[in-house]
Amino acid sequence: MEKEHILNVLKEVKEALHDKDSIKLRNLSNETIHAASVEQEKFSIALAVIVYSLSKIIERTNYQKYPAWKAFLKKSLVNLEKASRFLEKDNINKFKESIMEIEKLINSLTGNFKTHVQQVFEKAKINKASRIYEHGVSMERTAELLGITIFELAEYAGKTGISDIDLSMTLPVEKRIKYVADIFK
Amino acid sequence: MKEKAIVFDSGAIITFAMNGLLDIFEDLKKEFNGYFLITDEVKKEIVDKPLTIKRFQFEALKIKDLIERRILEFPYKIINKKELDNKTNQLFDILNHAYFARGEFMKIVSKGEISAIALSLLLKEKGIDNVVAIDERTARLLCESPSNLQKIFSYKLHTEVLMKKDISFLKNIKIIRSSELMYFAYKTGLFHLKDHILEALLYAAKYKGCSISFEEIEQMKKL
Repeated sequence: MEKEHILNVLKEVKEALHDKDSIKLRNLSNETIHAASVEQEKFSIALAVIVYSLSKIIERTNYQKYPAWKAFLKKSLVNLEKASRFLEKDNINKFKESIMEIEKLINSLTGNFKTHVQQVFEKAKINKASRIYEHGVSMERTAELLGITIFELAEYAGKTGISDIDLSMTLPVEKRIKYVADIFK
Repeated sequence: MKEKAIVFDSGAIITFAMNGLLDIFEDLKKEFNGYFLITDEVKKEIVDKPLTIKRFQFEALKIKDLIERRILEFPYKIINKKELDNKTNQLFDILNHAYFARGEFMKIVSKGEISAIALSLLLKEKGIDNVVAIDERTARLLCESPSNLQKIFSYKLHTEVLMKKDISFLKNIKIIRSSELMYFAYKTGLFHLKDHILEALLYAAKYKGCSISFEEIEQMKKL
């Protein structure tokens, strides 16, 4: 992603977090995934996962009743702010570190809130993986990128419409069945 | 007897595993009278990794059992491992430099699916008739319609995607999916259940990741 584009995404994510706008966050995550499909940089994938997870946490207001939520949100915003500042100064390593730091914040959580946030992040990884697979990257490569198993991705992707677009259908059904029949002869 | 093989990518086996249908492999193998092959890379995806995750441990153990009972086999009786590794690396490099977008080559495949395709090519060179069972879409499109994959990339990325390699040498690879294997098992009478069983099997395959469309399922039901 280009510098200006990332800065703009980060700015909009911060605004959406302040406004508790889960839909905007989800759209921003989807925007990030286009670039992640091509570049496959860890930070852009992590950013897409983080933003999507935050959108889910904000959407489910019961999570916000946990005392740790406010601190988690505050620290996430601090890291996003730091990431923007580092990127503006072209300090790419520190920028990436600040993004990756957000997921690490989960480790500092405790109890049920930690379990819930962990689950949200795990589900977000599978959701984002499915989007990357939808973009045309193979299932195994995608699972590798997100650090999930093909079992998880296959199950999720099977429920989407990825296989139903015309471009996914390449051979007449009869021909493929003939391949099986012929090899078993 | 003429040698023949079905080469399995991870997805096709996973679809059977996730639907509790791995037992059918034993019956299919008896019908087949040839090799059911997997590569080391595929084994990592379907046994080694899931064995470390409680949720998928059971499926991994069942697949491991198929390997131990030699229902699923490694190809090294008929193909030299080094030769397969070299072919896999060569293909891996070509296919990950085939599509170019936004100033860079797209890394679109991993060693798992590529090793299955490489194995199919090597078997063919040795005159061993084979098909590859691949459930995921990308590897299938790379072989059967690389231009469709290019169109998907362009459409999804909202940008021009260029093809930088000629990969037409993959077009003769015969690809099947778990759905066709289930269809065959059903037609051969390997399933004891009656009433809508074919429909149930095909939907079960689809919902566990087999890249088959609703339209294709309806067509298969009418055959």
